[in-house]
Amino acid sequence: MTTALLEVEGLSKNFGGLQVSSDITLDLKAGDRCALIGPNGAGKTTFVNLVTGVLAPTAGTIRLEGQDVTTLSAEARVRRGLIRSFQVARLFRSMTVREHLELAVLERERKTFRLFASVRRMPGLADEVAGLLDAMGLTAAADTPVGTLAYGQQRLLEIALALALKPKVLILDEPAAGVPHSESHRILDALDRLPADLAVLMIEHDMDLVFRFARRIIVLAQGRLLCSGTAQEIAADPRVRDVYLGSRAHVQA
Amino acid sequence: MSAVATDRTRRETAGRRLRRAALDGAAVPVMAVLGLAAFWLFPNDLGLMTRIAATALYVLSLDLVLGFGGIATLGQAAMFGTGAYAAGIAAVNLVDEPITLLAIGGVAGGLIALVTGALILHARGLTLLMLTIAVVQIVQEVANKARDWTGGSDGLSGIDPAPVLGLFRFDLYGRTSYLFALAVLIVGYLVARRIVRSPFGLACRGVKEDPLRVAALGGSPKRYLVALYAVAGVFAGVAGALTAVTSGIVGLDSASFSWSAEALVMLVLGGTGRLYGAVIGTVAFMTIHHILASSDPFHWMLFIGLFLMAIVLFAPGGITSVLNGAGIERVFHRMKGGRA
Repeated sequence: MTTALLEVEGLSKNFGGLQVSSDITLDLKAGDRCALIGPNGAGKTTFVNLVTGVLAPTAGTIRLEGQDVTTLSAEARVRRGLIRSFQVARLFRSMTVREHLELAVLERERKTFRLFASVRRMPGLADEVAGLLDAMGLTAAADTPVGTLAYGQQRLLEIALALALKPKVLILDEPAAGVPHSESHRILDALDRLPADLAVLMIEHDMDLVFRFARRIIVLAQGRLLCSGTAQEIAADPRVRDVYLGSRAHVQA
Repeated sequence: MSAVATDRTRRETAGRRLRRAALDGAAVPVMAVLGLAAFWLFPNDLGLMTRIAATALYVLSLDLVLGFGGIATLGQAAMFGTGAYAAGIAAVNLVDEPITLLAIGGVAGGLIALVTGALILHARGLTLLMLTIAVVQIVQEVANKARDWTGGSDGLSGIDPAPVLGLFRFDLYGRTSYLFALAVLIVGYLVARRIVRSPFGLACRGVKEDPLRVAALGGSPKRYLVALYAVAGVFAGVAGALTAVTSGIVGLDSASFSWSAEALVMLVLGGTGRLYGAVIGTVAFMTIHHILASSDPFHWMLFIGLFLMAIVLFAPGGITSVLNGAGIERVFHRMKGGRA
Protein backbone atom coordinates (compact mmCIF):
# COMPACT_ATOMS: atom_id res chain seq x y z
CA MET A 1 0.00 0.00 0.00
CA THR A 2 1.39 3.38 -0.95
CA THR A 3 1.19 6.00 1.76
CA ALA A 4 -0.98 9.00 1.09
CA LEU A 5 0.77 12.20 -0.01
CA LEU A 6 -1.97 14.38 1.38
CA GLU A 7 -4.17 13.35 4.29
CA VAL A 8 -6.99 15.55 5.51
CA GLU A 9 -8.69 14.44 8.70
CA GLY A 10 -11.80 15.87 10.35
CA LEU A 11 -11.25 19.31 8.81
CA SER A 12 -13.79 21.92 9.97
CA LYS A 13 -14.09 25.67 9.63
CA ASN A 14 -16.61 27.97 11.28
CA PHE A 15 -17.08 31.62 10.46
CA GLY A 16 -18.77 32.72 13.67
CA GLY A 17 -21.85 30.51 13.88
CA LEU A 18 -21.69 29.54 10.22
CA GLN A 19 -20.16 26.16 9.57
CA VAL A 20 -18.68 26.26 6.05
CA SER A 21 -16.64 23.08 6.30
CA SER A 22 -17.46 20.28 8.67
CA ASP A 23 -15.54 17.12 9.36
CA ILE A 24 -14.01 16.60 5.94
CA THR A 25 -11.71 13.59 5.64
CA LEU A 26 -9.95 12.53 2.47
CA ASP A 27 -6.57 11.47 1.19
CA LEU A 28 -4.62 11.67 -2.04
CA LYS A 29 -2.00 9.17 -3.14
CA ALA A 30 0.73 9.51 -5.72
CA GLY A 31 -0.79 9.35 -9.19
CA ASP A 32 -4.33 10.19 -8.01
CA ARG A 33 -6.54 12.13 -10.38
CA CYS A 34 -9.32 13.30 -8.16
CA ALA A 35 -12.07 15.87 -8.67
CA LEU A 36 -13.95 17.76 -6.00
CA ILE A 37 -17.40 18.85 -7.13
CA GLY A 38 -20.44 20.32 -5.51
CA PRO A 39 -23.06 23.01 -6.07
CA ASN A 40 -22.30 26.69 -5.51
CA GLY A 41 -21.74 27.48 -1.86
CA ALA A 42 -20.78 23.90 -1.01
CA GLY A 43 -17.51 25.15 0.50
CA LYS A 44 -15.11 24.02 -2.22
CA THR A 45 -13.03 27.19 -2.25
CA THR A 46 -12.97 27.29 1.57
CA PHE A 47 -11.67 23.74 1.51
CA VAL A 48 -8.87 24.72 -0.88
CA ASN A 49 -8.00 27.70 1.31
CA LEU A 50 -7.86 25.49 4.40
CA VAL A 51 -5.65 22.87 2.78
CA THR A 52 -3.26 25.42 1.26
CA GLY A 53 -2.97 27.43 4.47
CA VAL A 54 -4.72 30.64 3.43
CA LEU A 55 -7.28 30.01 6.20
CA ALA A 56 -6.67 28.36 9.57
CA PRO A 57 -9.08 25.49 10.33
CA THR A 58 -11.25 25.44 13.45
CA ALA A 59 -10.55 21.73 13.89
CA GLY A 60 -8.82 18.87 12.10
CA THR A 61 -5.36 18.04 10.79
CA ILE A 62 -3.64 18.20 7.43
CA ARG A 63 -0.64 15.96 6.76
CA LEU A 64 1.70 16.17 3.82
CA GLU A 65 3.82 13.06 3.27
CA GLY A 66 2.95 11.98 6.78
CA GLN A 67 4.03 15.25 8.41
CA ASP A 68 1.56 17.52 10.15
CA VAL A 69 1.43 20.84 8.28
CA THR A 70 -1.78 22.17 9.85
CA THR A 71 -0.03 25.13 11.49
CA LEU A 72 2.44 25.91 8.70
CA SER A 73 2.11 29.08 6.63
CA ALA A 74 0.93 28.97 3.02
CA GLU A 75 4.43 29.57 1.68
CA ALA A 76 5.95 26.86 3.89
CA ARG A 77 3.44 24.37 2.47
CA VAL A 78 4.32 25.45 -1.06
CA ARG A 79 7.99 24.79 -0.31
CA ARG A 80 7.04 21.26 0.74
CA GLY A 81 5.35 20.60 -2.57
CA LEU A 82 1.70 21.47 -1.97
CA ILE A 83 0.90 23.75 -4.88
CA ARG A 84 -2.32 25.35 -6.04
CA SER A 85 -3.52 27.21 -9.08
CA PHE A 86 -6.11 29.96 -8.81
CA GLN A 87 -9.74 30.02 -9.89
CA VAL A 88 -9.39 33.50 -11.39
CA ALA A 89 -6.01 33.76 -13.09
CA ARG A 90 -3.91 35.59 -10.52
CA LEU A 91 -0.87 36.73 -12.38
CA PHE A 92 1.52 39.68 -12.35
CA ARG A 93 -0.04 41.81 -15.08
CA SER A 94 3.00 43.84 -16.12
CA MET A 95 5.38 40.90 -16.16
CA THR A 96 5.94 38.73 -19.21
CA VAL A 97 5.11 35.03 -19.42
CA ARG A 98 8.82 34.22 -19.32
CA GLU A 99 9.35 36.34 -16.19
CA HIS A 100 6.54 34.49 -14.42
CA LEU A 101 8.16 31.13 -15.05
CA GLU A 102 11.62 32.42 -14.16
CA LEU A 103 10.30 33.65 -10.84
CA ALA A 104 8.56 30.34 -10.12
CA VAL A 105 11.70 28.30 -10.88
CA LEU A 106 13.89 30.66 -8.83
CA GLU A 107 11.45 30.43 -5.92
CA ARG A 108 11.56 26.65 -6.07
CA GLU A 109 15.35 26.68 -6.01
CA ARG A 110 15.35 29.37 -3.27
CA LYS A 111 17.62 31.62 -5.26
CA THR A 112 15.52 34.76 -4.98
CA PHE A 113 17.78 36.42 -2.43
CA ARG A 114 20.63 36.68 -4.91
CA LEU A 115 20.93 40.42 -5.29
CA PHE A 116 23.79 40.66 -7.72
CA ALA A 117 23.19 37.70 -10.02
CA SER A 118 21.61 38.31 -13.40
CA VAL A 119 18.35 36.46 -14.06
CA ARG A 120 19.37 36.07 -17.69
CA ARG A 121 22.61 34.35 -16.75
CA MET A 122 21.36 31.96 -14.06
CA PRO A 123 22.71 28.53 -15.05
CA GLY A 124 20.05 26.20 -16.42
CA LEU A 125 17.21 28.66 -15.89
CA ALA A 126 16.65 29.65 -19.52
CA ASP A 127 16.55 25.99 -20.63
CA GLU A 128 14.08 24.96 -17.96
CA VAL A 129 11.81 27.92 -18.72
CA ALA A 130 12.00 27.15 -22.45
CA GLY A 131 10.93 23.58 -21.67
CA LEU A 132 7.93 24.75 -19.65
CA LEU A 133 6.92 27.24 -22.33
CA ASP A 134 7.11 24.52 -24.94
CA ALA A 135 5.13 22.03 -22.86
CA MET A 136 2.24 24.49 -22.49
CA GLY A 137 2.41 25.85 -26.06
CA LEU A 138 3.30 29.31 -24.78
CA THR A 139 6.62 29.77 -26.58
CA ALA A 140 5.23 32.31 -29.07
CA ALA A 141 3.79 34.40 -26.21
CA ALA A 142 6.91 34.20 -24.02
CA ASP A 143 7.74 37.90 -24.09
CA THR A 144 4.18 39.24 -23.99
CA PRO A 145 3.15 41.04 -20.81
CA VAL A 146 0.50 38.87 -19.19
CA GLY A 147 -1.99 41.75 -19.04
CA THR A 148 -2.40 41.58 -22.84
CA LEU A 149 -2.56 37.78 -23.05
CA ALA A 150 -5.72 35.93 -24.11
CA TYR A 151 -7.59 34.43 -21.17
CA GLY A 152 -7.08 30.82 -22.24
CA GLN A 153 -3.34 31.42 -22.39
CA GLN A 154 -3.42 32.94 -18.91
CA ARG A 155 -5.02 29.71 -17.66
CA LEU A 156 -2.28 27.67 -19.34
CA LEU A 157 0.30 29.89 -17.66
CA GLU A 158 -1.37 29.22 -14.29
CA ILE A 159 -0.82 25.50 -14.86
CA ALA A 160 2.73 26.09 -16.13
CA LEU A 161 3.52 28.10 -12.97
CA ALA A 162 2.27 25.27 -10.78
CA LEU A 163 4.38 22.77 -12.72
CA ALA A 164 7.48 24.99 -12.49
CA LEU A 165 7.30 24.52 -8.72
CA LYS A 166 7.62 20.72 -9.17
CA PRO A 167 4.62 19.89 -7.00
CA LYS A 168 3.95 16.63 -5.18
CA VAL A 169 0.32 17.54 -4.61
CA LEU A 170 -1.37 19.87 -7.07
CA ILE A 171 -4.70 21.55 -6.38
CA LEU A 172 -6.32 23.02 -9.47
CA ASP A 173 -9.08 25.48 -8.61
CA GLU A 174 -11.36 25.54 -11.67
CA PRO A 175 -8.57 25.36 -14.27
CA ALA A 176 -11.01 25.94 -17.15
CA ALA A 177 -13.11 28.71 -15.57
CA GLY A 178 -13.78 31.48 -18.05
CA VAL A 179 -12.30 29.55 -20.96
CA PRO A 180 -14.66 29.16 -23.93
CA HIS A 181 -15.90 25.58 -24.28
CA SER A 182 -14.30 25.32 -27.70
CA GLU A 183 -10.88 25.88 -26.13
CA SER A 184 -11.19 23.83 -22.97
CA HIS A 185 -9.61 20.85 -24.78
CA ARG A 186 -6.32 22.76 -24.69
CA ILE A 187 -6.52 22.88 -20.91
CA LEU A 188 -7.37 19.19 -20.82
CA ASP A 189 -4.43 18.37 -23.11
CA ALA A 190 -2.18 20.25 -20.72
CA LEU A 191 -3.63 18.36 -17.75
CA ASP A 192 -3.12 15.04 -19.53
CA ARG A 193 0.58 15.78 -19.72
CA LEU A 194 1.01 16.31 -15.98
CA PRO A 195 3.68 14.06 -14.43
CA ALA A 196 2.15 10.64 -13.70
CA ASP A 197 3.28 10.39 -10.06
CA LEU A 198 1.65 13.69 -9.13
CA ALA A 199 -1.40 13.68 -6.87
CA VAL A 200 -3.96 16.03 -8.40
CA LEU A 201 -7.14 17.39 -6.87
CA MET A 202 -9.25 19.40 -9.28
CA ILE A 203 -12.15 21.62 -8.34
CA GLU A 204 -14.32 22.10 -11.38
CA HIS A 205 -17.84 22.90 -12.56
CA ASP A 206 -17.42 21.69 -16.12
CA MET A 207 -18.66 18.08 -15.85
CA ASP A 208 -17.23 17.09 -19.24
CA LEU A 209 -13.80 18.02 -17.97
CA VAL A 210 -14.38 16.29 -14.61
CA PHE A 211 -15.56 13.03 -16.16
CA ARG A 212 -12.72 12.97 -18.68
CA PHE A 213 -9.99 13.84 -16.19
CA ALA A 214 -10.87 12.35 -12.82
CA ARG A 215 -10.63 8.70 -11.83
CA ARG A 216 -12.24 9.47 -8.48
CA ILE A 217 -14.86 12.10 -7.76
CA ILE A 218 -15.67 13.56 -4.37
CA VAL A 219 -18.94 15.43 -3.85
CA LEU A 220 -19.17 18.24 -1.34
CA ALA A 221 -22.51 19.69 -0.26
CA GLN A 222 -23.15 22.27 2.45
CA GLY A 223 -19.61 21.91 3.78
CA ARG A 224 -19.86 18.13 4.19
CA LEU A 225 -18.48 15.23 2.22
CA LEU A 226 -21.54 13.68 0.57
CA CYS A 227 -19.95 10.74 -1.20
CA SER A 228 -17.04 9.70 -3.35
CA GLY A 229 -16.53 7.19 -6.14
CA THR A 230 -15.81 6.68 -9.82
CA ALA A 231 -17.51 8.72 -12.50
CA GLN A 232 -20.20 6.06 -13.08
CA GLU A 233 -20.93 5.67 -9.39
CA ILE A 234 -21.30 9.41 -8.94
CA ALA A 235 -23.45 9.82 -12.05
CA ALA A 236 -25.75 7.09 -10.79
CA ASP A 237 -25.94 8.25 -7.18
CA PRO A 238 -29.41 9.64 -6.42
CA ARG A 239 -28.09 11.86 -3.60
CA VAL A 240 -25.80 13.70 -6.02
CA ARG A 241 -28.67 14.26 -8.39
CA ASP A 242 -30.75 15.60 -5.50
CA VAL A 243 -28.07 18.06 -4.45
CA TYR A 244 -27.54 19.34 -7.98
CA LEU A 245 -31.12 19.24 -9.23
CA GLY A 246 -32.39 20.56 -5.94
CA SER A 247 -30.11 23.55 -5.99
CA ARG A 248 -30.53 24.11 -9.72
CA ALA A 249 -34.33 24.00 -9.42
CA HIS A 250 -34.00 26.46 -6.60
CA VAL A 251 -31.89 28.82 -8.69
CA GLN A 252 -34.24 28.67 -11.63
CA ALA A 253 -37.39 29.14 -9.54
CA MET B 1 -11.06 42.37 -36.96
CA SER B 2 -10.17 41.87 -33.35
CA ALA B 3 -7.15 39.84 -34.45
CA VAL B 4 -5.93 42.84 -36.44
CA ALA B 5 -6.41 45.08 -33.43
CA THR B 6 -4.50 42.73 -31.14
CA ASP B 7 -1.75 42.50 -33.70
CA ARG B 8 -1.50 46.28 -33.80
CA THR B 9 -1.41 46.69 -30.05
CA ARG B 10 1.19 43.96 -29.88
CA ARG B 11 3.34 45.79 -32.44
CA GLU B 12 2.91 49.05 -30.57
CA THR B 13 3.88 47.55 -27.23
CA ALA B 14 6.85 45.86 -28.91
CA GLY B 15 7.96 49.24 -30.32
CA ARG B 16 7.55 50.86 -26.95
CA ARG B 17 9.52 48.10 -25.26
CA LEU B 18 12.31 48.51 -27.80
CA ARG B 19 12.47 52.25 -27.10
CA ARG B 20 12.46 51.53 -23.40
CA ALA B 21 15.28 49.00 -23.73
CA ALA B 22 17.27 51.54 -25.77
CA LEU B 23 16.77 54.17 -23.06
CA ASP B 24 17.77 51.62 -20.45
CA GLY B 25 21.02 50.77 -22.21
CA ALA B 26 21.84 54.37 -23.07
CA ALA B 27 21.21 55.69 -19.56
CA VAL B 28 24.73 55.32 -18.18
CA PRO B 29 26.71 56.64 -21.17
CA VAL B 30 24.25 59.54 -21.53
CA MET B 31 24.51 60.32 -17.83
CA ALA B 32 28.31 60.30 -17.98
CA VAL B 33 28.54 62.42 -21.15
CA LEU B 34 25.95 64.99 -20.06
CA GLY B 35 27.41 65.08 -16.56
CA LEU B 36 30.90 65.80 -17.90
CA ALA B 37 29.57 68.27 -20.49
CA ALA B 38 27.81 70.16 -17.70
CA PHE B 39 31.11 70.24 -15.83
CA TRP B 40 32.68 72.26 -18.69
CA LEU B 41 29.59 74.27 -19.62
CA PHE B 42 28.47 75.49 -16.19
CA PRO B 43 31.62 75.95 -14.10
CA ASN B 44 29.78 78.44 -11.88
CA ASP B 45 27.00 76.04 -10.94
CA LEU B 46 29.10 73.16 -9.66
CA GLY B 47 27.62 73.46 -6.16
CA LEU B 48 24.07 73.05 -7.47
CA MET B 49 25.09 70.24 -9.80
CA THR B 50 26.80 68.39 -6.95
CA ARG B 51 23.59 68.60 -4.92
CA ILE B 52 21.63 67.35 -7.93
CA ALA B 53 23.89 64.29 -8.32
CA ALA B 54 23.66 63.37 -4.63
CA THR B 55 19.89 63.97 -4.62
CA ALA B 56 19.48 61.81 -7.73
CA LEU B 57 21.05 58.92 -5.82
CA TYR B 58 18.60 59.58 -2.98
CA VAL B 59 15.60 59.63 -5.35
CA LEU B 60 16.98 56.47 -6.95
CA SER B 61 16.72 54.79 -3.54
CA LEU B 62 13.08 55.83 -3.37
CA ASP B 63 12.49 54.34 -6.82
CA LEU B 64 13.86 51.01 -5.61
CA VAL B 65 11.37 51.04 -2.75
CA LEU B 66 8.33 52.48 -4.53
CA GLY B 67 8.89 51.64 -8.18
CA PHE B 68 10.08 48.06 -7.68
CA GLY B 69 8.51 47.08 -4.36
CA GLY B 70 5.34 49.18 -4.35
CA ILE B 71 6.11 50.42 -0.83
CA ALA B 72 4.40 53.79 -0.39
CA THR B 73 6.66 55.89 1.81
CA LEU B 74 6.99 59.47 2.94
CA GLY B 75 9.91 58.65 5.20
CA GLN B 76 12.85 57.98 2.89
CA ALA B 77 14.68 60.98 4.41
CA ALA B 78 15.02 58.96 7.64
CA MET B 79 17.64 56.86 5.85
CA PHE B 80 19.16 59.83 4.01
CA GLY B 81 19.46 61.83 7.24
CA THR B 82 20.82 58.91 9.25
CA GLY B 83 23.47 58.31 6.58
CA ALA B 84 24.34 62.02 6.47
CA TYR B 85 24.67 62.32 10.26
CA ALA B 86 26.58 59.03 10.59
CA ALA B 87 29.10 60.16 7.97
CA GLY B 88 29.24 63.67 9.43
CA ILE B 89 29.82 62.48 13.01
CA ALA B 90 32.43 59.97 11.80
CA ALA B 91 34.17 62.70 9.80
CA VAL B 92 34.34 65.03 12.79
CA ASN B 93 35.46 62.36 15.30
CA LEU B 94 37.01 59.37 13.57
CA VAL B 95 38.05 59.26 9.93
CA ASP B 96 38.31 61.66 7.03
CA GLU B 97 38.68 59.27 4.10
CA PRO B 98 35.69 60.10 1.84
CA ILE B 99 34.92 56.61 0.51
CA THR B 100 35.03 55.19 4.04
CA LEU B 101 32.59 57.94 5.05
CA LEU B 102 30.21 56.91 2.26
CA ALA B 103 30.43 53.31 3.46
CA ILE B 104 29.62 54.42 7.02
CA GLY B 105 26.61 56.37 5.74
CA GLY B 106 25.45 53.38 3.70
CA VAL B 107 25.70 50.97 6.63
CA ALA B 108 23.86 53.42 8.91
CA GLY B 109 21.09 53.99 6.34
CA GLY B 110 20.77 50.27 5.71
CA LEU B 111 20.60 49.41 9.43
CA ILE B 112 17.94 51.98 10.27
CA ALA B 113 15.91 50.81 7.28
CA LEU B 114 16.29 47.16 8.29
CA VAL B 115 15.15 47.80 11.86
CA THR B 116 12.28 50.17 11.09
CA GLY B 117 11.27 48.17 8.01
CA ALA B 118 10.96 44.97 10.03
CA LEU B 119 8.71 46.87 12.44
CA ILE B 120 6.41 48.67 9.99
CA LEU B 121 6.30 46.71 6.73
CA HIS B 122 3.49 44.39 7.83
CA ALA B 123 1.26 47.39 7.12
CA ARG B 124 0.28 48.54 3.65
CA GLY B 125 -1.23 51.59 1.96
CA LEU B 126 -2.19 54.57 4.11
CA THR B 127 -1.25 52.91 7.41
CA LEU B 128 2.25 52.27 6.11
CA LEU B 129 2.44 55.84 4.82
CA MET B 130 1.64 57.16 8.32
CA LEU B 131 4.21 54.85 9.91
CA THR B 132 6.97 55.99 7.53
CA ILE B 133 6.17 59.60 8.43
CA ALA B 134 6.38 58.68 12.12
CA VAL B 135 9.82 57.12 11.59
CA VAL B 136 11.26 60.17 9.83
CA GLN B 137 9.84 62.47 12.54
CA ILE B 138 11.41 60.33 15.26
CA VAL B 139 14.81 60.30 13.52
CA GLN B 140 14.65 64.08 13.13
CA GLU B 141 13.72 64.58 16.77
CA VAL B 142 16.54 62.30 17.94
CA ALA B 143 18.96 64.33 15.81
CA ASN B 144 17.53 67.51 17.28
CA LYS B 145 17.91 66.32 20.88
CA ALA B 146 21.38 64.79 20.50
CA ARG B 147 22.96 68.25 20.25
CA ASP B 148 26.37 67.13 21.48
CA TRP B 149 26.73 64.81 18.52
CA THR B 150 24.68 66.48 15.80
CA GLY B 151 24.78 70.16 16.64
CA GLY B 152 20.96 70.12 16.90
CA SER B 153 19.24 72.93 15.05
CA ASP B 154 22.57 74.66 14.38
CA GLY B 155 23.55 71.76 12.16
CA LEU B 156 26.68 69.65 12.12
CA SER B 157 29.69 71.41 10.65
CA GLY B 158 33.42 70.91 10.56
CA ILE B 159 33.33 68.01 8.11
CA ASP B 160 36.65 68.21 6.33
CA PRO B 161 37.25 65.10 4.22
CA ALA B 162 40.68 64.01 3.01
CA PRO B 163 41.45 63.89 -0.73
CA VAL B 164 39.53 61.27 -2.72
CA LEU B 165 41.72 58.15 -3.07
CA GLY B 166 44.47 60.24 -1.49
CA LEU B 167 44.85 62.08 -4.83
CA PHE B 168 42.05 64.56 -5.47
CA ARG B 169 41.78 67.34 -2.92
CA PHE B 170 38.33 68.91 -2.35
CA ASP B 171 38.87 72.37 -3.86
CA LEU B 172 37.17 75.70 -3.26
CA TYR B 173 35.40 75.68 -6.65
CA GLY B 174 33.74 72.34 -6.00
CA ARG B 175 35.30 70.61 -9.00
CA THR B 176 36.35 67.52 -7.04
CA SER B 177 33.04 67.48 -5.20
CA TYR B 178 31.08 67.44 -8.43
CA LEU B 179 33.13 64.79 -10.21
CA PHE B 180 33.14 62.66 -7.06
CA ALA B 181 29.35 62.96 -6.72
CA LEU B 182 28.84 62.18 -10.42
CA ALA B 183 31.06 59.10 -10.15
CA VAL B 184 29.22 57.86 -7.05
CA LEU B 185 25.86 58.42 -8.77
CA ILE B 186 26.92 56.42 -11.82
CA VAL B 187 28.33 53.57 -9.73
CA GLY B 188 25.16 53.61 -7.59
CA TYR B 189 23.01 53.53 -10.72
CA LEU B 190 24.89 50.53 -12.09
CA VAL B 191 24.56 48.65 -8.80
CA ALA B 192 20.83 49.48 -8.61
CA ARG B 193 20.32 48.26 -12.18
CA ARG B 194 22.12 45.06 -11.35
CA ILE B 195 19.83 44.49 -8.35
CA VAL B 196 16.71 45.25 -10.36
CA ARG B 197 17.68 42.63 -12.94
CA SER B 198 18.56 40.02 -10.32
CA PRO B 199 16.32 37.19 -9.07
CA PHE B 200 15.70 39.39 -6.01
CA GLY B 201 14.51 42.26 -8.21
CA LEU B 202 12.18 39.94 -10.09
CA ALA B 203 10.69 38.67 -6.82
CA CYS B 204 10.17 42.24 -5.58
CA ARG B 205 8.29 43.17 -8.75
CA GLY B 206 6.09 40.17 -8.10
CA VAL B 207 5.40 41.33 -4.55
CA LYS B 208 4.54 44.78 -5.86
CA GLU B 209 1.85 43.35 -8.12
CA ASP B 210 0.39 40.61 -5.92
CA PRO B 211 1.98 39.57 -2.60
CA LEU B 212 -0.41 36.65 -2.15
CA ARG B 213 0.53 35.21 -5.51
CA VAL B 214 4.20 35.35 -4.51
CA ALA B 215 3.31 33.47 -1.31
CA ALA B 216 1.58 30.86 -3.49
CA LEU B 217 4.90 30.42 -5.31
CA GLY B 218 6.61 29.78 -1.98
CA GLY B 219 8.11 33.22 -1.29
CA SER B 220 7.62 35.33 1.81
CA PRO B 221 6.42 38.79 0.68
CA LYS B 222 7.41 40.53 3.90
CA ARG B 223 10.97 39.24 3.79
CA TYR B 224 11.38 40.62 0.28
CA LEU B 225 9.95 43.97 1.29
CA VAL B 226 12.15 44.32 4.38
CA ALA B 227 15.24 43.29 2.41
CA LEU B 228 14.39 45.75 -0.37
CA TYR B 229 13.74 48.52 2.14
CA ALA B 230 17.15 47.85 3.74
CA VAL B 231 18.93 47.77 0.37
CA ALA B 232 17.31 51.06 -0.62
CA GLY B 233 18.26 52.37 2.84
CA VAL B 234 21.92 51.73 1.95
CA PHE B 235 21.52 53.82 -1.21
CA ALA B 236 19.77 56.62 0.69
CA GLY B 237 22.45 56.49 3.40
CA VAL B 238 25.23 56.74 0.82
CA ALA B 239 23.39 59.69 -0.79
CA GLY B 240 23.16 61.39 2.61
CA ALA B 241 26.85 60.77 3.29
CA LEU B 242 27.71 62.07 -0.17
CA THR B 243 25.81 65.28 0.56
CA ALA B 244 27.60 65.60 3.93
CA VAL B 245 31.05 64.98 2.42
CA THR B 246 30.61 67.34 -0.53
CA SER B 247 28.81 70.16 1.28
CA GLY B 248 30.64 69.93 4.62
CA ILE B 249 27.49 70.37 6.69
CA VAL B 250 24.47 68.34 7.81
CA GLY B 251 21.25 70.04 8.90
CA LEU B 252 18.05 68.80 10.53
CA ASP B 253 16.21 69.25 7.22
CA SER B 254 18.14 66.26 5.82
CA ALA B 255 15.93 64.02 7.98
CA SER B 256 12.67 65.87 7.47
CA PHE B 257 9.23 64.96 6.26
CA SER B 258 9.40 67.64 3.58
CA TRP B 259 12.66 66.25 2.19
CA SER B 260 10.94 62.84 1.96
CA ALA B 261 7.98 64.37 0.16
CA GLU B 262 10.24 66.29 -2.21
CA ALA B 263 11.92 63.03 -3.22
CA LEU B 264 8.50 61.61 -4.03
CA VAL B 265 7.65 64.67 -6.16
CA MET B 266 10.93 64.32 -8.09
CA LEU B 267 10.37 60.60 -8.64
CA VAL B 268 6.79 61.02 -9.85
CA LEU B 269 7.95 63.83 -12.12
CA GLY B 270 10.54 61.57 -13.73
CA GLY B 271 8.52 58.37 -13.68
CA THR B 272 8.64 55.42 -11.30
CA GLY B 273 10.00 51.95 -11.82
CA ARG B 274 12.66 52.76 -14.38
CA LEU B 275 15.68 54.03 -12.38
CA TYR B 276 16.59 56.61 -15.03
CA GLY B 277 13.25 58.27 -14.27
CA ALA B 278 14.61 59.09 -10.80
CA VAL B 279 17.67 60.81 -12.32
CA ILE B 280 15.68 62.69 -14.96
CA GLY B 281 13.07 63.79 -12.40
CA THR B 282 15.72 65.08 -10.00
CA VAL B 283 17.59 67.01 -12.69
CA ALA B 284 14.35 68.52 -14.03
CA PHE B 285 12.92 69.46 -10.63
CA MET B 286 16.08 70.94 -9.15
CA THR B 287 17.01 72.83 -12.32
CA ILE B 288 13.55 74.35 -12.68
CA HIS B 289 13.53 75.05 -8.95
CA HIS B 290 16.88 76.84 -9.26
CA ILE B 291 15.95 78.90 -12.33
CA LEU B 292 12.52 79.93 -11.04
CA ALA B 293 13.70 80.67 -7.52
CA SER B 294 16.41 83.02 -8.79
CA SER B 295 14.28 84.75 -11.43
CA ASP B 296 11.13 85.19 -9.34
CA PRO B 297 11.83 84.66 -5.63
CA PHE B 298 8.20 85.36 -4.66
CA HIS B 299 6.14 83.21 -7.00
CA TRP B 300 8.41 80.30 -7.93
CA MET B 301 6.44 77.80 -5.84
CA LEU B 302 3.37 78.59 -7.92
CA PHE B 303 5.17 77.82 -11.16
CA ILE B 304 6.58 74.58 -9.79
CA GLY B 305 3.03 73.62 -8.84
CA LEU B 306 1.66 74.43 -12.30
CA PHE B 307 4.46 72.46 -13.92
CA LEU B 308 3.71 69.42 -11.77
CA MET B 309 0.01 69.64 -12.60
CA ALA B 310 0.82 69.74 -16.30
CA ILE B 311 2.96 66.62 -15.98
CA VAL B 312 0.30 64.74 -14.03
CA LEU B 313 -2.41 65.72 -16.55
CA PHE B 314 -0.56 65.13 -19.80
CA ALA B 315 2.08 62.54 -18.91
CA PRO B 316 0.89 60.64 -15.85
CA GLY B 317 3.81 58.25 -16.23
CA GLY B 318 6.28 61.11 -15.76
CA ILE B 319 8.82 62.66 -18.11
CA THR B 320 10.23 59.26 -19.06
CA SER B 321 6.86 58.07 -20.31
CA VAL B 322 7.01 60.92 -22.86
CA LEU B 323 10.49 59.75 -23.88
CA ASN B 324 9.13 56.22 -24.20
CA GLY B 325 6.39 57.49 -26.48
CA ALA B 326 3.48 56.46 -24.27
CA GLY B 327 2.64 60.00 -23.17
CA ILE B 328 2.81 61.41 -26.68
CA GLU B 329 0.55 58.67 -28.03
CA ARG B 330 -1.93 59.42 -25.27
CA VAL B 331 -1.98 63.15 -26.04
CA PHE B 332 -2.42 62.52 -29.79
CA HIS B 333 -5.16 60.06 -29.04
CA ARG B 334 -6.93 62.64 -26.93
CA MET B 335 -6.54 65.32 -29.60
CA LYS B 336 -8.13 63.03 -32.17
CA GLY B 337 -11.11 62.82 -29.85
CA GLY B 338 -10.55 59.30 -28.65
CA ARG B 339 -10.60 58.24 -25.06
CA ALA B 340 -7.21 57.79 -23.49
